[in-house]
Amino acid sequence: MTGVVEAHDLSKWYGEVLGLNGFTASFGSGITGLVGPNGAGKSTLFKLLIGQLRSDKGEVRLLGEDPWNNVPLKRRLGYCPEHNQVWGWMTATRFVETLLRLDGLPAADARTKAAEALELVGLTKAKDRPLKTYSRGMRQRAKLAQALAHGPEVLILDEPLSGADPVGRVHILRTISRFAREGGHVLMSTHVLYEIERITENIVLIHNGKGIASGNLHAIRALIDQHPHAVRIATPQPREVAQALAGMDHVVAIEMPTADALIVRTRQPDAFYRELPEIVVEHRLDVRGLESPDDSLEAVFRYLVG
Amino acid sequence: MTALTVRYLLTTRRVIAMALFAAVPLLLAGSLALARVPTFDILLFQVLMVPLFLQVVLIFVTLVNAAPLIREEIEDNTLPYLLTRPIGKPAIVAWKYAGYLVAVLVLLVPPLVLAYGVTEAYGGLALGTDSDVLAGFLVATVLGSAAYGALFLFISVVLRKPLAVGLLVGFVWESIVGSIPGNVPKFSVIYYLRSILKGMIDVGPLSGFPTDVSAGVAAGVLVGLSVAFLVAAMAVFQRNEFRQKA
Repeated sequence: MTGVVEAHDLSKWYGEVLGLNGFTASFGSGITGLVGPNGAGKSTLFKLLIGQLRSDKGEVRLLGEDPWNNVPLKRRLGYCPEHNQVWGWMTATRFVETLLRLDGLPAADARTKAAEALELVGLTKAKDRPLKTYSRGMRQRAKLAQALAHGPEVLILDEPLSGADPVGRVHILRTISRFAREGGHVLMSTHVLYEIERITENIVLIHNGKGIASGNLHAIRALIDQHPHAVRIATPQPREVAQALAGMDHVVAIEMPTADALIVRTRQPDAFYRELPEIVVEHRLDVRGLESPDDSLEAVFRYLVG
Repeated sequence: MTALTVRYLLTTRRVIAMALFAAVPLLLAGSLALARVPTFDILLFQVLMVPLFLQVVLIFVTLVNAAPLIREEIEDNTLPYLLTRPIGKPAIVAWKYAGYLVAVLVLLVPPLVLAYGVTEAYGGLALGTDSDVLAGFLVATVLGSAAYGALFLFISVVLRKPLAVGLLVGFVWESIVGSIPGNVPKFSVIYYLRSILKGMIDVGPLSGFPTDVSAGVAAGVLVGLSVAFLVAAMAVFQRNEFRQKA
């Protein structure tokens, strides 16, 4: 086992509920995205990595070490939990400072490093406000600040973009990218694939507690693209629309479930969405709505797992 | 960790209710003095403080402050912040307990001392006149806070609903155990607190308290109980996994 994170046949049960089911994966250096729908097992894996949970079966290593009750390893990791709870009665400065003191830093160093970390995530102006007055996105940034303030080797971020506003997202993604550029390793979970595309090409797909694919994002994209993507088109002219779309070479099937809609299956959703407006205008079609019934990651995963 | 706990227990809004409750002895002594009750003296002070302070205020304040020490971090999903620091889990428990002890004594001791002062001043006596009473109650407060705190902390590490069980132990078991014959009362904290008061105070309502345990032995037992419950809480916490609430 040589990666930043190594998991082999890792399983975790919560009573009769399965959290992880024989999960095997190796995460290398840089930024790795752990992508999966809600309930896939992402948070369970992270809790095993920080030593909050103990595996029922299999083996997990973080930076080559077993995380369970491993106190020295804690110095080398920074963790941003999924939940937004913080000690709301503290200011952001006090929050980060307190945790840095628990990391063993002297008071003066903790104060300096807390200010630096809060500046990095764009919270300098609000640093002296109680955390209970923070928006969800601001809390995400405060959580990120406490995770990286002590200079860890690896950041474990559980849905760090969840609830973040557009400005917050920019700060968070920029901070993560900078941390990785400076030699840090990042393991970041999300259930939205496009969120992670901006900062890394290394992803691991997890579904029902199992790792189902890993590697380069484009390879996984290609894998996903091999499976037809369904688009439901609301139109009073389903027959005319179907005739117009049948000429697209990536469209593999067209169904008419009702009199005012049709479902198109395409192997190239990007191309489909790009070409559709032109076809609609050219053929003067009355298209009233588009929705992708399987555009959720859950549907993609169902394709991948057959 | 200790500073974090002290700050939490003494600076959040909950401290107002706790301080008011802890101030009950002072409020009572002040009321008796203001009402110019003729029988208000150090004996009446003891008669009131044994059931009111030892059996209600002390238990309530220790329960409400000790039970959430760890449990609230689990329930509020803030425990990961502590678990991802280079501190062993047993140390988290120990430092939190130390913070609890500081905070609880800050809450309990000043009103008790002031209530004693009001009583002596009302009788026109010098503050040191009944120093045995003050010393007895201070020792009982410190050791009672330590023992009840460790007990409630242990309960909170083991059980998901520590307040309910703590209330049962604190207000039911500790109240009725004195009425049970034989050695059963020795399985309570209150028995040793009363033994301390009996041994340390020359004249008081507990002079006739049936105990074969000296104040010194009682103090030793309470220290031993505190250490035992604290170590047990540390051991359980070290072994436990912690699942966040959904």
